[in-house]
Amino acid sequence: MSAQASTKNKAAAGPDDWKAEWQPVVDAVGRDFSDGETVWGADAVERGAIRRYLEPLEFDCALHTDPQVARRAGFADVTMPYTGLMSWTLPPMWRPGETLFDSDDRDAQPVRSAINNQDMPIGPKTTGFFGTDIEVDFLRPVVAGERIGRRGRRLVSCVPKETSVGRGAFMTWESEIVTTFGEVVARIRIGTYAYVPKNDVPDNDDRKG
Amino acid sequence: MDTTALEGRRFEDVTVGEELPGADYPLTVYRLVMAAGANRDFNSIHHNTEYARKTGAPEMYANTQFLLGAWERCVRDWMGLAGQIRAIRGFRMRSFNVVGDTMRVRGEVKDARIDEEGRGVVEIAIRCENSGGVTVGPGVVEVVLPRRGEEDACEEGA
Repeated sequence: MSAQASTKNKAAAGPDDWKAEWQPVVDAVGRDFSDGETVWGADAVERGAIRRYLEPLEFDCALHTDPQVARRAGFADVTMPYTGLMSWTLPPMWRPGETLFDSDDRDAQPVRSAINNQDMPIGPKTTGFFGTDIEVDFLRPVVAGERIGRRGRRLVSCVPKETSVGRGAFMTWESEIVTTFGEVVARIRIGTYAYVPKNDVPDNDDRKG
Repeated sequence: MDTTALEGRRFEDVTVGEELPGADYPLTVYRLVMAAGANRDFNSIHHNTEYARKTGAPEMYANTQFLLGAWERCVRDWMGLAGQIRAIRGFRMRSFNVVGDTMRVRGEVKDARIDEEGRGVVEIAIRCENSGGVTVGPGVVEVVLPRRGEEDACEEGA
């Protein structure tokens, strides 16, 4: 459906017709959107980044700060907090040669970010996005010096739903967290809600390119 | 990896129904900005009130990583160094943990059992609350605690 046709149809649309735009995503449940590529964290896990992760939480655990204590437990160095999996599997925001900020509008967004629904190749365009739920199975702690990545990005559910913040869909994604040696250290299911905010002015591009 | 040599709660110390020491998190702009920088969730909904309101939220609000970390800290504060986290389930956002409020993490022991491999497994029911009620969960953090005698067995086997 073209953007123009979509706009015309909205005038005569029923209350739930917006859900039809999500049907290609619903139909894609079971598909691995990673295309076999592992998304590696920008950096290896390291002591300074662990310390910064702990600070706003006031999280005092010697396994994460004291190498001697970590070694007493048999680790080669301090361990990453278990819940740091997502932080340490995020790719870099910026790479040499790229432009990340191209507008001085106060609330302008970076050209690219891993934390939104931008890289979804199908379904309606959305501007609102947040995490809704998480389940993780931890197979072992990750140690400073290791680099981890997210392998697989399988869509396991998609439920279009209107909420108090807008119209969109709840989606659940399944991945493995792996080391550079291919060892699986955790399995994770992340729920997200991607939506068009109620007060968002729609542009004339209903669909991602 | 052998955490049995470390200090911390043993499986035999656990009572089903016991409450974990809670932790309070006053949510200020300063704290949320620190959290975003540290856990790299730079979504503007977590550090920009104006932007957050455009997306339908009442205010900027704490990000998932921060809240997950708060659950981990609550469990770690209680179990000490020797315990290991095996799973987190039911971490479900119910409402926004907005700036200008205090988020509290509360937990209690829901179940304690010996699994088929002889490990002491404890399930902790855990949640976040703010002035409006429960905001995240209640979910479960599943941990493995060393059993008394394991340290001796390890030393003898060493």
